[in-house]
Amino acid sequence: MNHFIFRNTTLEPLFKSHKVEFSGYDDISYINHTADIFSWFYILPYQQDNNILVDQITFFYQNIEMVYAQIPDTKYFCIFTLFNPFSSPVKTGDLSLMNAINEFNQNIIQFSKSRNNVKIINSSDFILNNQKVDLIDWKYYFISQMLINPKLSRSFGIWFKSQIDAILLKRKKCLVLDLDNTLWGGILGEDGVTGIKIGGDYPGNAFTEFQKSIINLKKSGIILSICSKNNESDVLEAWNKNTNIIIKKSDISSYRINWNNKADNIREIADELNIGLDSMVFIDDNPTERELVKQILPDVTTPDFPIQPYDLPNFSTKLVSDYFQAYNITEEDINKTKQYKSNTERAVFKKSFDDFNQYLLSLEIAILIEKASALSIPRIAQMTQKTNQFNLTTYRYTEGDIKEFIKNDDWVFTIDIKDKFGDNGITGLMIIELDNSKARINSFLLSCRVLGKGIEVAFISHLLNKLKESGIKKVFAEYIPTPKNSQVKDFYEKVGFKSVSLENDKVSPTREFIIKLEDFHFEKSNIYNIEEK
Amino acid sequence: MEEKILNIIKDVFELEDIDNNVSQDNCIKWDSLNHLNLILEIEMEFDVSFDPEEIAEIKSASNILSLLKKRNLN
Repeated sequence: MNHFIFRNTTLEPLFKSHKVEFSGYDDISYINHTADIFSWFYILPYQQDNNILVDQITFFYQNIEMVYAQIPDTKYFCIFTLFNPFSSPVKTGDLSLMNAINEFNQNIIQFSKSRNNVKIINSSDFILNNQKVDLIDWKYYFISQMLINPKLSRSFGIWFKSQIDAILLKRKKCLVLDLDNTLWGGILGEDGVTGIKIGGDYPGNAFTEFQKSIINLKKSGIILSICSKNNESDVLEAWNKNTNIIIKKSDISSYRINWNNKADNIREIADELNIGLDSMVFIDDNPTERELVKQILPDVTTPDFPIQPYDLPNFSTKLVSDYFQAYNITEEDINKTKQYKSNTERAVFKKSFDDFNQYLLSLEIAILIEKASALSIPRIAQMTQKTNQFNLTTYRYTEGDIKEFIKNDDWVFTIDIKDKFGDNGITGLMIIELDNSKARINSFLLSCRVLGKGIEVAFISHLLNKLKESGIKKVFAEYIPTPKNSQVKDFYEKVGFKSVSLENDKVSPTREFIIKLEDFHFEKSNIYNIEEK
Repeated sequence: MEEKILNIIKDVFELEDIDNNVSQDNCIKWDSLNHLNLILEIEMEFDVSFDPEEIAEIKSASNILSLLKKRNLN
């Protein structure tokens, strides 16, 4: 990641751990367009005359607008908020400087609101978390123009990385939590359901706050899982009977409460949730367990755990800032936990059924096939942009393109899938172009979440029947291979289409298929309840 | 102590190997910015604070060594 930073003073030591090219001091005439990400980090100069400073701040904002115009809108432009690093003015009632700084910060916030690639980095967040070291070391200022104490460089480097990661949405996905002496004080197996320390006086109150901070992470879309050496029945009893426990069973997407080794358990949790080990953070008070996980699963992040419960607030603050910050949290992130949770329940369910159809029946799958509407068009366009694996042609469309299809009387249908565990919403679509008695499947895609249940076959069969009923004789389809969609290369043949491409056609990798609808007969399955609107 | 100083210089300047006689004259990596980074590391590692005049006088590893020795004697 190459950074280009506009600045007005010496900053080099602060960004030592990053690949950075700097502008000249106060220089906005040059910009390196090849950088991956751009930042604006100006620091209020040391200057006795407030009026000059106020003027300068106005000027900063104008410069930002000019710089922005030169930055490609495919790249991020991060603006650091301005802060006042100096002590009190001679006249305590003179708030002109404070006002100018506030106004600047308000301006950049407004500026970012209407521009997707502009992000605000809140400098005060760094200052607040680093008050143990003086913000300014005047010796270094006078010998090097470095206003921010260079001794803060290391923590600044880490903080800056976490800010950028938050903007690029590189946060971790899942917390794996131990129970005894981690989520509560004491040992459940020894102290009993009501004997563990949670709620009430110290240290119980410290663990309560810690659990609340974890619930807060869950609300932001982080998946919670538990890996604990305990008797499962003891823990289930504690969840039932000890109302002081804030993190309930229903907050947990997956758990392994047994006496197996934790590395194996964590691996299983990762498999069950279908996430990578590198997106997990493991929290355990026992250094031996941490060491085991560090050695066997180095991809899992395993931070040290505080010895004293009163240090838990600092620990959870650091946990958030190091691994779980996101610039913005979307509705989809928040729903993620819920979806992961229902998918896990489905997986456990699947194990206990020998007969696959029995399993499918028990899911009580309800399929709703719907014509595209103004409401679903944004989602349709988004799915064509994002779906890679179960996608026969991978054509990418904008909302405008979709409206164009509808205007031409082509068919655009979505599929919405519900089962006993929850509603997945719109998770697939088909676009069919009509031409007299012929039709062509332009796009057919499904979200991976709903695969493995035969829904794809039910969906296409339903629409082929519908085409037949409306007098269509032949349907054409194509498969365009990409590095990600090989799982669907034989899909059309499985449903009854005939391949019309030459074997091993070296010129075009696209494969063409055709089906004559008079030969096609679709038996309605009793597994799904299909409804059309 | 001498070895520790040389190691810090090596790390800060990102050198492959280091000569005992390293100085501003024989090391191109020893520019003004790296000078600042070096002083910073030395101050933090040995928990000392040099005067600006001393910082300006430092030209070589042996300068640093003698300054630190002077500090320890006091």
